[in-house]
Amino acid sequence: MIALQREIAAAPVAPVVLIVEDDPALRTLLMRLLREEGFQPLSAAHGAEMARVLETNSVDIILLDVMLPGSNGFDLCRSVRRESDVPIVMLSARDDETDRLIGLELGADDYIGKPFSQKELIARIRAILRRAQGNTQSSQPRGHQQMVFAGWQLDPGRRELLSPDGAFVDLSGAEFDLLLAFLSSPQRVIGRERLLEMSRARISDASDRSIDVLVSRLRRKLAVSGQAEALLRTVRGVGYIFTAAVERR
Amino acid sequence: MKPLRLWPQRLVGQVTLVLMLAVALEFVGSSILFENSRLYPNRDNQVRRAAEQLVTAEAILETRPEHERAARAAGLSARPNEIGWTALPTLVDRERAAERKLKDQFRDAEPSLVRRELRMNTETDHALPRDTHLKVALKMRDGSWVWMKTKIRAAPWAVVLSSFGSAFILGLGVIAAAALVLRNLSRPLRALAEAADKVGQGERMRVAETGAGDLKLVAKAFNAMQDRIAGLLQTRTEALAAVGHDLRTPLARLSLRAGFVQDAAAREALEADVDEMTAMLDSLLAYLGGQEDPEPPRRTDIAAIAMTLVDDATDSEREAAYDGPEHLPVHARPLSLKRAISNLVENALHYGGEARLSLVRDGRLVILAVEDSGPGIPEDELAHVLEPFHRLDSARARNTAGLGLGLTIVQQILKREGGELVLRNRPEGGLRAEVRLPAL
Repeated sequence: MIALQREIAAAPVAPVVLIVEDDPALRTLLMRLLREEGFQPLSAAHGAEMARVLETNSVDIILLDVMLPGSNGFDLCRSVRRESDVPIVMLSARDDETDRLIGLELGADDYIGKPFSQKELIARIRAILRRAQGNTQSSQPRGHQQMVFAGWQLDPGRRELLSPDGAFVDLSGAEFDLLLAFLSSPQRVIGRERLLEMSRARISDASDRSIDVLVSRLRRKLAVSGQAEALLRTVRGVGYIFTAAVERR
Repeated sequence: MKPLRLWPQRLVGQVTLVLMLAVALEFVGSSILFENSRLYPNRDNQVRRAAEQLVTAEAILETRPEHERAARAAGLSARPNEIGWTALPTLVDRERAAERKLKDQFRDAEPSLVRRELRMNTETDHALPRDTHLKVALKMRDGSWVWMKTKIRAAPWAVVLSSFGSAFILGLGVIAAAALVLRNLSRPLRALAEAADKVGQGERMRVAETGAGDLKLVAKAFNAMQDRIAGLLQTRTEALAAVGHDLRTPLARLSLRAGFVQDAAAREALEADVDEMTAMLDSLLAYLGGQEDPEPPRRTDIAAIAMTLVDDATDSEREAAYDGPEHLPVHARPLSLKRAISNLVENALHYGGEARLSLVRDGRLVILAVEDSGPGIPEDELAHVLEPFHRLDSARARNTAGLGLGLTIVQQILKREGGELVLRNRPEGGLRAEVRLPAL
């Protein structure tokens, strides 16, 4: 019932999700889940079928399994990227960081290791769709553009932050998204609401978490001999401003 | 025709040959030594010779007229003996035991001296080898005196001692030489023992196939055995890893199906089961795949990793804290390092209810300590908890998730980064796990 209502409510703009997965049972389950969550799912069992579906349909997001018969998910990801910017989420039985990096470097937008819960999958899909919509409006970075600020270096593709002395600095998903949000609007005041919106990707219970906590954690990780306070300045009653200039390479 | 081989091929032959050579060397050496020692006359011989010389000198001087005697006597002198002639006695006889004994010896050696008047005076050196300086005078038949000064070497025991010393040094030399040769012979054996030890700890090590024929065979067999074991392990590992990966698809189905279960309690239980199985698979695959992790080591901020893990824990409402600098770089594989520290934090939260992380740089070491206030680990178990698939007592295993690989993986990861894991119980209760890495 609830699912049905949601479907109706979402109907006019139901995003089209293409599932490329060779396991029939998993495919069916994903179809069912996505339909119930108000998406319009399509499916393909392998690369050739995926190509046929893409020819005849306009797709909003692709869920792409890595281990496929014939050309594997990485190959397919690369070939899709050549032609379009459609968001891609890789699904893999190898929850292996190397695979994750390869996927992200090939232009995938996200990488989910199996098994995953319904909640997790839906949250990720929604976040990516939201980000994709934002992309068409703002100039959020894509691909391999490096972002450099105050000696720090951020690689959005590999989701890596390097400190001025070249050390890899571990960030949580939410911290990374928040930093990315700051970097996409540098030297402009950003309200808390907007920040929450922009970095919700990784936050499952956004309401429980305050942006302020995230900002203070980020400050600590960006702290270099007193410089951090200047990087993320609080604008009382409004939000925050990222003070440094951001250079893209 | 086979060339004649002087060096035996088998260990027994080689050892025998070395022993034979050693014995021969000792034999030759000691023969030379004893030959030498015969050149040193013993004391009796010296006394006899002195007596003989005295008698001979008298006989010669007796044939000369008195005015020629002094010159003739001087002519008879030959180092170390000095012979002279005087008309009147110049020597006072000292009637001590030493003199009496020497006189007897003189008379034993030369019976012609038996009823003659002899005067003697001896002095023995205080320093070794305690030679005796002897002055002896003989009254000739016409009442004049022939005298002789000589040195009697206190040879016998000194010579014996010195030849014993030589024999001893020779023996030592021969033994050392033989030991050196045997050491060389047994080098392949020691290499084999070392290799066996290392292989026992899971390392692979080729043994050089050198040395005696039979040792070469052992080395060859050992290497072949290693290859077989490695092959076997490889096959098993691959099979296990493949099963691990394949299990993820049915687990993914199960996880999705769980979401459709209406009964909330049943759904949550199902999801928890899936999570537990996933955690087991993850740790198994991390353990199996640890050796061939392609991630390259790089400059990594260990402080940031600790902070992320602590924040993750507090976000899920568990008690965790971090105390330390904001940045501290080490050289490591960041994702493996994070997995290692995460395992320690999870352990602390699970058994100790809290995780307190502290990071310090201590000289050439970076030490990240993870402390809890749980029951710790019984002292006799501390050494075993690092073994794969080892879990603490069954009572506790009941609520233990995982396969007992957590700490094994931590140690495996840290070893690869040139560091180590140190576990110890805190005196105030709880466990302290230290990640030790070389500082940059």
